[in-house]
Amino acid sequence: MSPQPVVDIRGLHVRFGEVEAVAGIDLQAYAGQATALLGRNGAGKSTTMRVLAGLVPPTAGTVEVDGLDIGRHTLAVKQMTGYCPDVGGLVPRATPWEHLQLSAKLRRLDSWEDRARDLLERFELGGVAHRITGGFSHGMGRRLSVVLAALHEPRLLLLDEPFDGVDPIGVEATMDVIADARARGACTMVSTHLRELAIQACGEVLVLRGGSRVATVGAAEMAGEEGARAYRALLD
Amino acid sequence: MPTGLSSTSAASPAALHPTSIQAARRAVADVAHLVRFRVGTVRRRRALRIAVGILVGITVAVCTVPMALPDTRSNDVLIVMPTAFAAFLLLNIVSGVASGGGRELLSREQGVAYPVSPTTDHLGALLMAPLNIAWLLQAWTILGSAAYALPASAVPAALITCLLWFVVSTSAAQVVAWTMEAIRRRAHGRWVVRALVGACAAGAAYLQLTDQLIDFLDRLPTLWLVARSLDGFTASWLTGVGFELVVIAATVVLGAVPAHLAAKLPSRDEAKVEGGAYPVRRMPRTVVGMLASIDRASVWRSVPMRRGITVLAVGPGIVAILGNMSWTNMTILPGLVASGGALLFGVNAWCLDGRGLLWRENLPALPGQVFAARALVLAEFVLAASLVTLVMASLRAGVPSASELAAMLMLVLVVTLQVLAAALRWSAQRPFPVDMRSARATPAPPVVMVGYSARLALSTTFTGLLFSTLSRFPDWRLSLLFAVPLLAWSGFRFARTARRWQDPVERSRVVMAVAS
Repeated sequence: MSPQPVVDIRGLHVRFGEVEAVAGIDLQAYAGQATALLGRNGAGKSTTMRVLAGLVPPTAGTVEVDGLDIGRHTLAVKQMTGYCPDVGGLVPRATPWEHLQLSAKLRRLDSWEDRARDLLERFELGGVAHRITGGFSHGMGRRLSVVLAALHEPRLLLLDEPFDGVDPIGVEATMDVIADARARGACTMVSTHLRELAIQACGEVLVLRGGSRVATVGAAEMAGEEGARAYRALLD
Repeated sequence: MPTGLSSTSAASPAALHPTSIQAARRAVADVAHLVRFRVGTVRRRRALRIAVGILVGITVAVCTVPMALPDTRSNDVLIVMPTAFAAFLLLNIVSGVASGGGRELLSREQGVAYPVSPTTDHLGALLMAPLNIAWLLQAWTILGSAAYALPASAVPAALITCLLWFVVSTSAAQVVAWTMEAIRRRAHGRWVVRALVGACAAGAAYLQLTDQLIDFLDRLPTLWLVARSLDGFTASWLTGVGFELVVIAATVVLGAVPAHLAAKLPSRDEAKVEGGAYPVRRMPRTVVGMLASIDRASVWRSVPMRRGITVLAVGPGIVAILGNMSWTNMTILPGLVASGGALLFGVNAWCLDGRGLLWRENLPALPGQVFAARALVLAEFVLAASLVTLVMASLRAGVPSASELAAMLMLVLVVTLQVLAAALRWSAQRPFPVDMRSARATPAPPVVMVGYSARLALSTTFTGLLFSTLSRFPDWRLSLLFAVPLLAWSGFRFARTARRWQDPVERSRVVMAVAS
């Protein structure tokens, strides 16, 4: 008997007025696995992530997280997801610690402070924990977004462009967060344009084009020069 | 729109180091480019045309209709004209200084990729100044007063003087605003500015306490200008107009100097907010409390909101003290202050989170809790400002009668709920992605802000006049009686907006717009 997927998307469509951002995606992702979403700008990666995070309701299709329909159990799904949005994702005049307090309060976390401090140190944000995020660099903001997504050890970790503009230390810390999530049996989805990092972090790669899935391949098949050529061919 | 040189362009020394004249010409041309860009980004063209038509229509009406009214108090109106001219200048100065040099033609975030010079910025701020309901209302009042108080043959000349005065006031205020901003950005500059503002307030208090205020107003230099505009197109009028034109030319050019000085320095207010460490606060016990605590931080750590609310709360309070307002007349204040408070961020309330709204929407909070927290913080914000104004105004107004007190309390409740309901409704209907870091930022585009402020001013002024009338009746229960339907109506509109916020599609639209 095959295991139940943590993420089960069937026939997902998302329309914004005339624009169809996602045009019929089917996707399953499992516990203990990390799946990368690759594709060009406008392929539907971030919209799919936003649907899974409970931000954008599907126009059509079914989306289940851990067996719960996202439309009917939005709050429960938000409870079990950790989301790093592709842009910003930080309240500009709140401090990192206040972001963590808010997340902990709404997720009813107890004794979260030590883990929060540890994550901030791992991402080299301990020194700015009490400064407002409006003054942060892009990379600092990205790193904090990953910390916020990982704080409550979510069942589903959604990282949208977590490596964008991040320095090597931040990339390494993000890789550790993904590895930790896999080790404790969480399902991780990473959307990125950085193929090599996606391959390094994930076991499976989904390539999206024009709002649809065009391929699902093992990460190893996307590696090296050969993988780059194969990826390029899938984009055109 | 001009950008940097392309790789194929020859970078001539003349292009890189233009003379002052060339730079000025380029700045003027760039203003035209930016205006075209701004107009081009307006999605609702028809609404823009209607809005411009309404503004022009009202202006024409205030210049002509009063001429047909019976001439019973023209002398009274003429006597206060020099004071009205000076008040217009003062309003522009306060507005310009509070907004750190005036509104931006192109926001800092949008303009960062373009070589927009401080001169262009200065000229853009001059163009944007009239797109402000306080500016428009005062201008219309002055134009209408001139049209009413003077014989028809003298009106055209007087109107020209008035219109030029509006430009004089705006451009002169801009010089003061940029100068204050340049001072504020230097070491200890914020204290210098505070000392200057304090000195002005102390001067006004001295004049008031020593009964010299009326004499002072009677000796205002604006009297010279008004006196030259009363007899039509005469040589005397020409002198006044000539003087105005000279001042306009001088101040428009002069304003570029402090604008350049200010542009060379970073904003200390923003640096203080962004570079400062904030001590850890205890977590509130409830979810709404926690959400509200983050929202409060977003409001009170924002330079434009903090500065704006201070001016809004204290300014009318000082006017009430100087003008010796009675409790009956004070009913105009809560609506004015509450509307102004909502215009600082409430009309686009979700912009407080910026792109952080994407993350916040993933948090497991009920939509109703999120809405309640935002509404609570907005209500606190406008109520706090209204109460500061009223406490200040009450210092001279004495002890109110039961009717006056009941009318004022009910009025504060009604206008707060009116403003809250309208602001949150507009926030959901038309969300805008805005970065509220800069003192010059506004929560919505200028023309939209004019529309919002006009609608708020209309409804809250009407409510103020109603309760002003009620405060004259001996039975204080009348105010309660009239407040109930008004509260019910605003409460219904508020609840309807709260219900709409429950809809995930509607919420998603707002989140995506604010975070775009």
